[in-house]
Amino acid sequence: MITVVLLAVLLLAAVPAFAQPQETIVFTPQWTAQAQFAGYYAALEKGFYADEGLSVVIDHPNATRTSMDRTLSKHAQVTTMPVTEAIEALDHGIELVNLLQTSMNSSLMLVSRRGANPLSQRGAKVSCFRAGYSQLAKCMAQDNKLEYQWIEAANMLNLFIAGAVDASLAMSYSEYYQFLQTGIIDKNENLVYRFRDNGYNIQEDGLYMTREEYKKNPERAQKFARASQRGWEWVVKNPEEAIQIVMKQVRINHIATNATLQRLMLEEILDLMEDYETGQREYQLKEEMFNQAVLILLRGEVISKEHNIKELLP
Amino acid sequence: MKPVIISKIRSSLSTRISLWTVLFAAVVFNISLIVVGILSREAVREEAVRAAGQVLDNTILRTNYILEDVENLADNMEWLIYKDIDNPDAMMEYSRSIVLNNSFLNGCSISFEPYFYPQKGKYFSCYSNNNGRYVYTTQEGSDNYQYFYLNWYMLPKLLNQPCWTEPYTDQEEGDEATMNMEMNVSYCKPLTGNDGSFIGVLSLDISLKWLSETISAVKPYPNAFAFLLGRGGTFLVHPDPEKLFYESIFTESLNGDMDPELVQLGKDMLAWKEGMSTFKIDGKSKSCVIYKPLLTTGWSLAIVCPESDIFGSYNKLRNILGAGLILGLILMFLVTYNIIHRQLLPLQKLATHAETIASGKFDVELPHMDRTDEIGVLNRAFRFMQVSLISYIDKLTSATAKRERIEGELRIARDIQMGMVPSTFPAFPGRADIDLYASIKPAKEVGGDLYDFFIQDEKLYFCIGDVSGKGIPASLLMAVARNLFRSVASEGLPPEEVARRINDTISEDNKQMMFITMFIGMADLATGTLRFCNCGHNPPVLLKASAEFMQCEANIPIGVAKGMVFKGQSLDNFRGTPILLYTDGLNEAENNLNEEFGNKRLLSALSGTPYQDAKSTIGQLLKLVSDHVGDAEQSDDLTMLCLKLL
Repeated sequence: MITVVLLAVLLLAAVPAFAQPQETIVFTPQWTAQAQFAGYYAALEKGFYADEGLSVVIDHPNATRTSMDRTLSKHAQVTTMPVTEAIEALDHGIELVNLLQTSMNSSLMLVSRRGANPLSQRGAKVSCFRAGYSQLAKCMAQDNKLEYQWIEAANMLNLFIAGAVDASLAMSYSEYYQFLQTGIIDKNENLVYRFRDNGYNIQEDGLYMTREEYKKNPERAQKFARASQRGWEWVVKNPEEAIQIVMKQVRINHIATNATLQRLMLEEILDLMEDYETGQREYQLKEEMFNQAVLILLRGEVISKEHNIKELLP
Repeated sequence: MKPVIISKIRSSLSTRISLWTVLFAAVVFNISLIVVGILSREAVREEAVRAAGQVLDNTILRTNYILEDVENLADNMEWLIYKDIDNPDAMMEYSRSIVLNNSFLNGCSISFEPYFYPQKGKYFSCYSNNNGRYVYTTQEGSDNYQYFYLNWYMLPKLLNQPCWTEPYTDQEEGDEATMNMEMNVSYCKPLTGNDGSFIGVLSLDISLKWLSETISAVKPYPNAFAFLLGRGGTFLVHPDPEKLFYESIFTESLNGDMDPELVQLGKDMLAWKEGMSTFKIDGKSKSCVIYKPLLTTGWSLAIVCPESDIFGSYNKLRNILGAGLILGLILMFLVTYNIIHRQLLPLQKLATHAETIASGKFDVELPHMDRTDEIGVLNRAFRFMQVSLISYIDKLTSATAKRERIEGELRIARDIQMGMVPSTFPAFPGRADIDLYASIKPAKEVGGDLYDFFIQDEKLYFCIGDVSGKGIPASLLMAVARNLFRSVASEGLPPEEVARRINDTISEDNKQMMFITMFIGMADLATGTLRFCNCGHNPPVLLKASAEFMQCEANIPIGVAKGMVFKGQSLDNFRGTPILLYTDGLNEAENNLNEEFGNKRLLSALSGTPYQDAKSTIGQLLKLVSDHVGDAEQSDDLTMLCLKLL
């Protein structure tokens, strides 16, 4: 027993000061466990956060309480969200800091349940996300005078299967593959509307912190961002191992999905991370996309005033 | 080894017949087995499909009973809710009493639109749950549980009609069904206000554990299994926990490598069709899939029966039959071989006896046989043949002895005939001025040619002749002619007189109308003059620098008619010029192509070679004729006489 105690004391003494765990950072991604967050799981699993001296807990939201709710209630310190949601938050007076921008392109799409071009379905019931991605779609519908009846749902898949909606919003890496997996639709580009190809290519996922939280310890935030980026770069180089890590998270969180879906999701996510013009993973907000998003949201009266990209920068 | 077997088969009629019989039987049996096999297999498959279909029907019927009970309960309870719609607290009571009074229910929720009861705030969802130990009731709506966005609430609202949700697990019904493993399903009925507007949802939850257990227990065959598909193709019941809830029947198609038939099965099941299809599942052996929809909920139930199971007994029977067939064919071969071998045994004995007879023992005793079949007939034929053979051989022996005697006599006759012509050369050893050589070669044992020569008073008489016909008659006339020549010529008469006298004698009593061509010469050894008479014979050849036929007067042959006169001729300076006398056996000698040696070839042969002596000349001509004739049979007597006075 004495030996054990002595060993423990020696080990503690050997740990360098910078590696001593700081207070735990709770990171809540905006959705349940899936390959969309592979870079963060990898950073945790491979010890990249620990290398920065961070103690990180990844705590997923549930279906009825969003990640934004958790962040604002200080249940979580870091979260992810699309640029449009961040702008909407700014408009509501919530000050946010973009720590790392992973998405360089929009994955948003409209998928028809009725075998028709979604843009031809004026007045259709369209299921949408309760959080995050739907505002851009609502603005697009308004621009095109589509008069959709938006149905906010926690689970769009079963509404789609039951035919309770005429079309559904979908992310090209997630819901779209789930819809394909039902066998109800097939890969027919006539049934989908891709925002990216129609003048609505706005960046999506980025890593955010409230400015209040950021100001507490900017260095800690930067370390988190740096380790996260390292995690994503590791995933790019080790996609198959990354899938194993994702599936581990999937099982821990009892998520009804499978490796096939997650593999497809990761491929799409990594593709979306590359700027289509430069082919690079830039990990930063693009000002022209930010400004375009502000204009769209203003036009759609989602926000009430103009915003500058600097409001999100550290 | 192989040639040995083939040689064995070829050498044995029993083996060959047995093999052909077995081969034919094998073909017939195999065709019969294949036809019966195909028909039986189809019958077994139909029976399997029928049995599996029955299991499916029973399961679906049982499920529908329970589900319909829930639907009826909701219909029966609905009026109570409407009756006390203005009393929110009553909803709590109803929710609780429904669960308490219906043990098959897991839970009941009576939930309303936001602020439907202003006094209750935004959320009002009365929920009672039977956790197996007790029933608890609560208002579960909250900021953390915003039920308006959940399927069981949204589906009846959007569809505006009662509906069943897709199965979910009870831990937290959310966007991604979290796996607490107990599967629940809810029957949800929209509640409407007096104006028909949507006000809330009555939802009754039941556990599908029993359904899962029932379906999992469906095992018409040891390795059969059942699976249940939700409306989105998700596996709601499946023996592989990796697939359960996590995968749909179309998941593999996302990778683009799914069996198109499996995709079609999924589509048919989702289209609520019923039927059967066959294909490989997970790349394993072929399986039959029988499927039927569960129309109450829109799910589809399928039973997968591996063909190895369905056709297990059939395959076993087929293997036994196959083995029996092979064994039977081997036995058939052995029995057939044995029977045929025994039946053919007398043939072997006959063959042995035939060999003995062939070796010369004609009197060997043939086996006794009472059989009346083909082999009996053959045996009798052999006996008859043996008797005939003995008789024939006797006759042959006798004939052969007779022929041998005649041949012996002919040989003696030949010797006598050859002894008549001078055959010692040089013919006149004491006379250096005469170079003479002669040869005779009869076509048969005895011939009709003749030659002769002798000196009488310094005159050399010589002749050559050819009797018409061949054989013994010709040889007799030849003997007569030769004796006549010698006796007449020895009187010192000239050749034409010699010819006349011989002719008269032979023509005297010539009933056979035989005749002789003859050349008679008389060389005066002192003067070197040649006198001659040619009686229808081939003109002799004078061997000058260029050989040529001697010009002869035309006389008829000797023996044609009595009293004929023959013209004689003379040639001076005969000395030094060789002369060749010959019969037509020389120039008419034929080869196998019936080509004659011919005069032209004769003259050419005699011109081309310088004259050495009479013997060499004749020897050379004999070789040339022999070369020309080859292995053709000699057709005529060949006689030559060559003479040169020196």
